This record gives sequence, C-alpha cells and structure tokens, in this order.
Amino acid sequence: MSIKKKYILLFVLPALTLYVTFVIYPFIYSFILSFYRWPGAGARTFVGLQNFKDVLFGSFGSEFRNAFLHNIYYFILVTILELGLGFLLAIFLVSIVKGKRFFQMMVYLPNIISMILVGFIWSMMLNPQIGLVNQVLTHIGLGVLARPWLGDPNLALNTVIAVNVWRNLGFYVLVFTASLLDIPRELLEAAYIDGASNFKVITKILFPLTLPTFQTLSILLFIWTFNVFDIVYALEGAQAGPFRSTDVLGTLFYRTAFGGLGSSRADFGLGAAVAVLIFVVVMPLSLVYAYIVDRRSRNA
Amino acid sequence: MLKVGKLGKWAIYTILTIYVVLIATPFAMIFINSFKSLRGIFLSPFSLPSSFNIQNYVEAWRSANLFNAYINSFLISTLSVGGILILSSMLAYVISRYEFPFRRTIYLFIIVGLALPARLAIIPIYVMLDNFNLLDTRTGLIVVYIATGISFATFLMKRFMDGIPKEIEESARIDGASPWTIFLKIALPLTRPAMIVVGLVNFVGIWNDFFFPLIIINSRNKETVPLAISIFFGEFSNKWQLISAALSLSVLPIMIIFFLLSRYFIAGMTEGAIK
Repeated sequence: MSIKKKYILLFVLPALTLYVTFVIYPFIYSFILSFYRWPGAGARTFVGLQNFKDVLFGSFGSEFRNAFLHNIYYFILVTILELGLGFLLAIFLVSIVKGKRFFQMMVYLPNIISMILVGFIWSMMLNPQIGLVNQVLTHIGLGVLARPWLGDPNLALNTVIAVNVWRNLGFYVLVFTASLLDIPRELLEAAYIDGASNFKVITKILFPLTLPTFQTLSILLFIWTFNVFDIVYALEGAQAGPFRSTDVLGTLFYRTAFGGLGSSRADFGLGAAVAVLIFVVVMPLSLVYAYIVDRRSRNA
Repeated sequence: MLKVGKLGKWAIYTILTIYVVLIATPFAMIFINSFKSLRGIFLSPFSLPSSFNIQNYVEAWRSANLFNAYINSFLISTLSVGGILILSSMLAYVISRYEFPFRRTIYLFIIVGLALPARLAIIPIYVMLDNFNLLDTRTGLIVVYIATGISFATFLMKRFMDGIPKEIEESARIDGASPWTIFLKIALPLTRPAMIVVGLVNFVGIWNDFFFPLIIINSRNKETVPLAISIFFGEFSNKWQLISAALSLSVLPIMIIFFLLSRYFIAGMTEGAIK
C-alpha cells in the first residue's frame, strides 16, 4: 500500500528517534570517549590510544586478560551445559504426556526471577555456616565434599556458572521443546518402522534437525556471556572475589567506569575503552544474529 | 515423541522429578527460613518453623523500604511497557503494511538492536541522562527501557502483523479512512495477542533488571525492588531471617503472576527470541 510522507514520519520518527538516541548513538559516543581521559566531571583530555594501551598491555593488562579468559571459559562451559542438558531434557519432555505442562512450568520458573535475587538466594544456599548445600552433604555422610563454594578461588567461577545454569537451563529446555515439536512426526514414524533405535532417532533425526537452534543459541549465549554482571555481583561483589577469580568483563567494566569501591582508577574514558573492546568482539555476532533472524522471518 | 517403554518412562519421570526438586528447594528454603528465628536457622536447619511468625516479614518490609520499591518498580515497568507498545506497534505497522523509501533499511537497522548488549553503552547513556537532568530519576530509567525495548517489540509485532490479511484495511482505505484511523481501529485490535506477549516479556524483564537502576538511581526513595533488596542484603548481611523474608516478598508476586499466565510467558520467551 502507498502512504503519504507525513504519515510515515508520524509512525516512524518517535520510535526511531528514541532508538537512535539511546541505543545507536551511545555506541558511537563510546568510541569517541575511549580516546579521552575523563573522571566524569570537568574537562576531558585527549589521550589518543593510551586507554587501549593501558587496558591491553599496560597497568590494566593482566586484569583485562584475566576477565576476558573467564568470559571465554564461562561461554564454553555454559554452552555445553545449557545446550546439552537443555536438548536432553527437552527430548524427555516431549516424550511424555502426563504432567507435561506442570514440568514445563516448573522448569521455566527460575528464569522469571531476577538474576540478582537468584544470586542472593544461592549465596544463602552456599553459605558455609547456614547454607543448605553443605548441611545436606554433611547430613547424608558426604561431609568431605562440603566446600567454601564461593570462597575458594579454584571453585568460585564454576560455582557461579552452576548457579547460572540453575537459573537459565529452563529457557533452553523450552526453546528445544518448541524446536523438537516442529519436526514432522512422519519422519520419526518412518524411522521406527525401519527399526531404528531411540539412540539412532536422536542422533540421526532429532539432533540434525535442531542444529539451527543450537547455532542460534550459541550465538546468543556468546553475546549474553559478555553481558554477565548481576550474578557475579550478587555472589562475589563488584570486586569479583576471591582474588578476582570470578572477574568477568562486565564487572571489570563496571569497576573502571563507576569505581565500584576500590578500583585503582575510575575513568569514563578507560571504561569506554573496555566497552569498545568488548563491543568489537561481540558486534560481528550481533550482526550475524540479525542476519539469521531476518532470513528466517522472510522464509516463514 | 520418542517411543519409550515402561522402564524408560519411569526413568524420565524420575529425572524430571529430581530436576523439579532441585528447582524448588532454594525457594522452599528462603520461605521456611523466613518464619524462623536466626537461632533456628543456625541450630535446626532441616526443621520446619515451629510457628508461622510473621514478625520477620513486618520488619523486612519496613527496613528494606519495600512498599516504596514496589510502587517504583510497578510505575517504571508499566510506563515503560506502555511506551514500548505504543511506539513499536506504530513502527511495526508501517513497516509491515506500506511501501516507502528506506523501509527495509530501517527494519534491518532496528533488528540489529536485538542482540546488542545495551549495557556496554551505559557510560554515554549516563552522560546523556546527566545532560538532560534525568539522572537519578524514574523518567530517565523509563526512557532508557523504552529505547532498548523497541527492537524486540517491533520485530515481534511486525512479524505478527505480516500474518494478518490486509483486505479489511484495504477496503477501509477505499472508504477514505486515514492510515492513523486504520491503525487504531483495525490493525491494533488484531495485534492484541502479540501485544500481550511483548508486554509481558518486557514487563518481567524491566521488573527484574538490576543493572540500569544500579547505575542510574541514587536516591533511596526512587529505588526498584531488586535495588532495594541488594542494599538490604548489604546492610543486614547476617540477619538471614530478615533476608529470607525480604527475598520471599520480592519473589512471590512475580511467581504468582507466572503461575497465572505461564502460557503467555512460555510462548513469548521461546518463540519470540529464537524462531
């Protein structure tokens, strides 16, 4: 249909203006700020690439690399656990009839609770004195397994990831459930008539046909991993203790930009440089995701 | 979907039940602890509370400033969702229905925002809000939520509108109705299912958000529920009975909404983002 220009402007401009001002422009502005030194008030000093040098090779180098590697580790572990278990549980869920809705609902429940609250609930569960986890372990005679889950630098990051899985797994279960239900039943019937085992059906039919879902979710998980902040903040604080063993780029970014008590240098320019570096890693995947979504919605 | 025998069914139900127990336990724990005394939490962790003493709730409600936080969270979430729905449905409608220059470019430009981590841009957002005198205001928070919610809402509603036949709108146009009237009187009512899903997803997302209030809000009287709880958690870090009560108070309402509307939640969260 055709439409007069003034109507296009009327419908498009309000949303587009707000979107450009508070979503697109800030990203560009971050690039500009990353070349300055600026404590947030007063004058800015142009410092060229100094902030990037500091973050990558200078005084912040080791801290940045530490956080970056944690993000990668986080991404790999969360992807394997959430997509693997999610796929498996989804297969279980679509293979039963009774109680299906109940299980779907319960599985999804943690996902609707704020991540920060989930973090607080689990910091109680994992507390060395009153935490249920160690108490249960001791109670059933496995007291040797009781640990300071959040206080041991070798364990803390894995504990954070486990809490993340506890909260988010249900989302992946339900996405895979939807994706499995799209598979034509005749395909499975035919395979069973030919004498295929359940294992064969899973590996030769269900898995290949849900592969696009695996791909899309991995891309999203990668992007979301670089957004991780709340869960670390709730369980280990802005300092990402013990000894930065749970530090991720999200918490590092927060400390550099907003101080977060005790960072050696809170600076908007330095923070913007961190943001730009994360952005450079994430942006290609954001574009790939937009491309996939657009292609799919046009085929539908 | 799979053909499973009796033993297989039994195994599946066992695994799913264990999983549900793992999900329910932490919630049960804060709920039970919220009725106990601090002594009770330390000394008899596995016992049920001896009495349903709501003293903890009274004290937590007051000292966590929860009434205030609830009002703020409700205001901010509702107004943001309203803004997202109005602006995005307008944008989605013209993109879905009309031919005009740069239509596809604008659409793709909006879609890019689907997977853009908005938090990374918090420094410029902070500076801009400061310049507009919107720092430490609920309005500032609402503006940011509306802007960051536009991509997902526009995408979902445009796709939904694409599936609605155009005939009624065509005939209304021939009768001389303006695009604005057609949008309000014909297109919008038909889009209601998509609007419910978009509204719900955004409401919960904004209600639960912690990062933006943490950065943007400073005054105690403007804090949202997650922010209020986090401050409470810091100040009362060893009063587990009060923390349990505060956590229960912040978790229960959203759970009740979820149990009432789970159908929409599940449709929105899974179909919207992925397919």
